[in-house]
Amino acid sequence: MSNASEQTLFRLRVAFVKQGRLKYLGHLEVIHTIEQIVRRAKLPYAVTQGFSPHMRIAYTSALPVGTSSTCEYFDVYLNELVSVTDALDRLRISAPMDLQPLCAGYVELRRPALTAEITRVDYLIELFFKDGSAPNIEELRQSFDTLRARGTIPYTRGKKHKELDIARTLESIALANGEDAHVYVALATHCDNEGSLRPEIILAALDQALRGVEPGVGEEIVSTGIQQLSVIKSYNVERVGQYIVDEQGETHAPLEMKPEVPEGSLLKQSPIGALSNL
Amino acid sequence: MKVIYENRFSELEPLLARVEKPTRYINHEWGSLYKPEAEHRCVLIYPDVYEVGLPNQGIAILYRNLNETEGLSCERGYIPWMDMADAMREAHVPLLSLEGAAPIASFDVVGFHVPHEMACTNYLEGLDLAGIPLYAADRGEDDPIVICGGPSVYNPEPLAPFFDCMLIGEGEEQIVEFCQRHRELRDAGVPRARMLRELAHVGGVYVPSLYEVRFDEPCSAHGYTVPKAGEDVPPVVYKRVVKDFGATNPVPQTVVPYAQIVQDRLSIEVLRGCARGCRFCQAGMTYRPVRERSADQVVSAVTRGLSSMGYDEVSLNSLSTTDHSCCEEILNRLNARLSDTGTSISVPSQRLDSFGVDMAAAVAGEKKGGLTFAPEAGSQRLRDVINKNVTEEDLERATRAAFEAGWRRVKLYFMMGLPGETDEDIVAIANLADHTLEIAREVVPKEQRGGISVSISVSVFIPKGQTPFQWCGQTPDEEVKRRQQLLLRSVKNRAVRVHYHDADTSLLEAVMSRGGRDIAPLIEAAWRRGQRFDAWTEQFHLEWWEEAAAECGLDLREIAQTPYELDWRLPWEHVSPGVSRGFLQREYRRSLKAETTPDCTRTSCTGCGICPTLHAENVLVGERV
Repeated sequence: MSNASEQTLFRLRVAFVKQGRLKYLGHLEVIHTIEQIVRRAKLPYAVTQGFSPHMRIAYTSALPVGTSSTCEYFDVYLNELVSVTDALDRLRISAPMDLQPLCAGYVELRRPALTAEITRVDYLIELFFKDGSAPNIEELRQSFDTLRARGTIPYTRGKKHKELDIARTLESIALANGEDAHVYVALATHCDNEGSLRPEIILAALDQALRGVEPGVGEEIVSTGIQQLSVIKSYNVERVGQYIVDEQGETHAPLEMKPEVPEGSLLKQSPIGALSNL
Repeated sequence: MKVIYENRFSELEPLLARVEKPTRYINHEWGSLYKPEAEHRCVLIYPDVYEVGLPNQGIAILYRNLNETEGLSCERGYIPWMDMADAMREAHVPLLSLEGAAPIASFDVVGFHVPHEMACTNYLEGLDLAGIPLYAADRGEDDPIVICGGPSVYNPEPLAPFFDCMLIGEGEEQIVEFCQRHRELRDAGVPRARMLRELAHVGGVYVPSLYEVRFDEPCSAHGYTVPKAGEDVPPVVYKRVVKDFGATNPVPQTVVPYAQIVQDRLSIEVLRGCARGCRFCQAGMTYRPVRERSADQVVSAVTRGLSSMGYDEVSLNSLSTTDHSCCEEILNRLNARLSDTGTSISVPSQRLDSFGVDMAAAVAGEKKGGLTFAPEAGSQRLRDVINKNVTEEDLERATRAAFEAGWRRVKLYFMMGLPGETDEDIVAIANLADHTLEIAREVVPKEQRGGISVSISVSVFIPKGQTPFQWCGQTPDEEVKRRQQLLLRSVKNRAVRVHYHDADTSLLEAVMSRGGRDIAPLIEAAWRRGQRFDAWTEQFHLEWWEEAAAECGLDLREIAQTPYELDWRLPWEHVSPGVSRGFLQREYRRSLKAETTPDCTRTSCTGCGICPTLHAENVLVGERV
């Protein structure tokens, strides 16, 4: 694309949630739906040149099926400047409740892609245990420490054998008891193009560790968004933070405006709260 | 006891973790309509999984019309894939509607769409999951009224015992009348048996329990069906037809799915009916008369639909869109309006004789995927037998235009086992395919020849009721397999890819198309053996069907292959799309002499009988050339 046409573009960044029943959407389904929302909002989106023209839009990293989020982003390139309030209003009425946009703002065209800029991702996890098998917080902390000490966890995704590099991707963990014998786990993770941490792998490994199985070795771990586990009866995972880390190690949100925590978020219930100071 | 209408999603949600594609079951799609407060509730079920059923235009129309009617509501249902169905049975979760996540059995009316013959076991799967008795005769006062309708009800008998009422023909006005009448009868406390008698008087409604099968006149082994003595019901149930098609909403579709599915696009029905008169084609007989929407209506509908739903693709649908008298004008106006939006326009099934250079330029804009043509038969003689009025010159001209306009992939559809087919006709299919590839190599520049793809897809002819070939038996499956091998040997050019349809599933399709009420226990027996999703080739087990047939004392091949005499009474003659028996007989006789019959939208009336019988007529918005 020529510089002349590049200069007339505007890059609108939008933060949105993925929650409720729509947490069961896969990444491609989310992308597909966001594009429909942009078209329904009649934003003057730019179209790529070439054989098969499509909307110029980019997203943050894929969220597994079953995982909710309070902080998803997309960047859509517009041919005309639309005021942020106007754009946000139009997106809101065009989006289903469970994929509502939270806030928006224009960002510089020259900035790197969202997936390149964001290197810190936080998750909040709610764990429910089978009757009588709930470990106490100390036991859980020790299991996590053991996992971290191992450094890597082998797993399979599709037909590929992979390794989750915990030492490199897991920055910190916080644990807290919930009200009725369930536990909250907060994970601060590092992601880059070398790889990222998929929370369900950690949970599958934790489930095995709690049963005394060597994680990923004694039993295979298969990467799917929703795991069928043994000690852990069920769980909810929510992405609660995506940040850009600068050269000084300071974290910055991808948008200046800080969105409110949406209703239904685990953040509303968890005693751990915001994780940015982990 | 009547099942309570209540939201039971919380019982389904834990199962989502265990199944593939949970998006099939979550609903809450953009544009879904939900009227929980309505006084009368209908649920329409497509007899396959969500992503197959969602794009169905018939259900979209009925869904919208019912929900737009005061006091009535309509929700949707689909058949859960096997993993979910098994999980639901294990967890004792009944089949639920999408919008309200309410038990199907709690609705007033449960309607199944009948898209084709191969959905037969899935009605039973749906009823069983819903906890509704499979047979109409076993249902009581607390059970919903179970109905069906759709393109494949023109031989209703194999399914008749499972349904309380079968709605014949175009349902958009009929379903509303039916539900309103049901609501009145329900509110008046009318008992089920009397209610069904009353519902038989809503136009186009066939109530199987009020009819009986007889054998006392010359007929096939399946008999013929007449009203029971003393029942005041029509001896022939004629289909319903929408007279003013132009007055119907051109954008009935509302729901935009989250799941990425094959036909996920805006779909506008630009015309209804086809009068080409291909003698094998049931839709060509049952969708008459021909009614076109105006170019203005289509163009504004596309614009409106795209912006309200957010699609980037629109399909202009009908049985034969390129026959629309203003097809080129519509395409040119849409191309002009939608340029620079990344929107693509698709037109299914191109007619060979109406696809010229101009049309090639207008279709598909910049995106050029594959193009499909349907010569149906290899030789001119056989094309005359089936009244497919296209010539080898048409094919040559159309494919040349397509390759010159930039298409590289062309697919040709044929049928095998047509009445009067010989080995020469099979070899002719191979020759046409070879010739098409030669044209491609001649037209396409040398450096682009790597992208050329010519493929042929050959299905097995199935004689269907209400067509001129309704008296014919199906060609034996062993013979079909021999001809498939002959075709493979006859294609000289190895670059031509040959796909042919499975003869086993075609055998069953013929059984469902030609059989009578005696087929219903066979469907049940096959379903009890575990048969479901017959339309999914890998789920189809001919051996289960053969075991089921043995159990019922039936012979699948005999049912499919035995021809019927021209003067016999037929198993489906008590329902009619309005095409007269005399016309079908005349057409059959002409086929034996390879005489063709013209299209009445281009010449004069050919006497099929639809217009006088249904008090309707062809409505064209321009001149067809």
